[in-house]
Amino acid sequence: MVTKIDVFVAISIAIFVLSLAYITSLGGLGPLPPVDVRDIAYQYLNLTYNPWRRFLTSFALESVTAIIWDFRGLDTLYETAVFYGAIIASIALYRGVKITHSRGGTGLSPIAKTVTRLSFVLIPTVAASVALHGHLTPGGGFQAGSIATVVIVLAIIVFSRYFLPGHGLSKERALLLRSIGLLGVGLTSIGLLLISFLLGVNAYIFQNQAKLDAPLSYPSLVDDYTLGGSLLFFNLSEFIAVAFGFMIVFLLLSVSEEDVREVVTRD
Amino acid sequence: MTNIAVLTAYVIVLSLYVNLGIALYGIFARPSLVKKLIAITILSDTANAFAVLVGYRWPRNALPKPPVIPELPVTRRVLEEYTSSAVDPLPQALVLTAIVIGLAITLFIAFIIIQYYRLYGTVDVRKVRRI
Amino acid sequence: MIVVLEVFTLALLTLFALTSVVAAYLAIRERDLVRAVVFSAIQSSMYALIYYVLMAPDIVLVYIPVSVGLIPAVLLFVIKKTERYEGE
Repeated sequence: MVTKIDVFVAISIAIFVLSLAYITSLGGLGPLPPVDVRDIAYQYLNLTYNPWRRFLTSFALESVTAIIWDFRGLDTLYETAVFYGAIIASIALYRGVKITHSRGGTGLSPIAKTVTRLSFVLIPTVAASVALHGHLTPGGGFQAGSIATVVIVLAIIVFSRYFLPGHGLSKERALLLRSIGLLGVGLTSIGLLLISFLLGVNAYIFQNQAKLDAPLSYPSLVDDYTLGGSLLFFNLSEFIAVAFGFMIVFLLLSVSEEDVREVVTRD
Repeated sequence: MTNIAVLTAYVIVLSLYVNLGIALYGIFARPSLVKKLIAITILSDTANAFAVLVGYRWPRNALPKPPVIPELPVTRRVLEEYTSSAVDPLPQALVLTAIVIGLAITLFIAFIIIQYYRLYGTVDVRKVRRI
Repeated sequence: MIVVLEVFTLALLTLFALTSVVAAYLAIRERDLVRAVVFSAIQSSMYALIYYVLMAPDIVLVYIPVSVGLIPAVLLFVIKKTERYEGE
């Protein structure tokens, strides 16, 4: 069944795509692919690990993590705030709904359960490795949190929705752990500022290494191992915040409809 | 660079534009809210792919590298080689956070769709218009 | 040698991009929403390969769990709680 509106939408989208293609063929995106990066990208690449410009570098080996948590740290802080807000909004939709802790569900077959038990060890190990090496190799807090969420979804689907609360990981505890992660992000961002108040020197928020007029810095090297200053702490905190934030939402998503319907119709 | 390479680059960009159009069609014209949500994820993925594509480069007489310094200790030679061949890290950093935030927003929209179904008994927008 | 590699990279990118167009078209056309989710996951994995070829290992690490694993899981939860078929 093709209506008039369908035809109208299809024609206007076709015009949209064709005009975009025409602009690109005129060189709207520049040469594809370009030979050089832009100046700002050159500066970011140059300052990622640069011992000759000590007051501007971040002493991490990975540019993406350095940009996320050092050069543009405030951006990421606000994005974490958006993430926090979206999860708070989801929890608000489920106010008053009780997650029962009874062991009613049975889950899938024993074979699937055994295989999933193996991944309960393997996937968090990979996630922790990705978070801890976020400043050295590709990875970081966001990636590790997403990887760890996979094991939570596996636990909910393969075992049952009563499995995680039955083993001590209830919604309230996940909320607490997520708040600890967010607190870690906040404390790391103002850590040097707090110390500078005690010492009476100058410091900035989201300061990682010493600047020209701010002498404090997070440790960048411990016995030959590159730490990347505050990036390690940021990655760990964000890992906890993201993993447990998503855990709350997936626990809510798996609540049975009868429980919720009772609350919704009561209002 | 050869002419064929330029032409294939345009084919890639054009197919991303077509994906954009397909996703917009899904958002505007399909009746089911779940289908609209799928279309929104395709739309945001395509926008992210564009950002990364714009940050790509093909340096002269070298291969492009990911934005990770491959060796320690970092000498001047390593740093120069790195800055002259690594791709742009800034779009990657922005897209990285955008994907995770996008998942949180998708979850919120999913909750709203479930709530919608509880209240109206359908996820078809045409039926709701009739109610 | 470098020219050969460049053409090879572009050919791979073209292959993945065209496959993703087909998958996205099928995902929007399909009336069974579970199949639409599967097509959307195929399109997402093509995008993951595109990111990998475009030298973005960070994004691949976050994109594979999110777009191939978690978003289909969310959508399947939603479909289970609402309707499976679109239209009529």
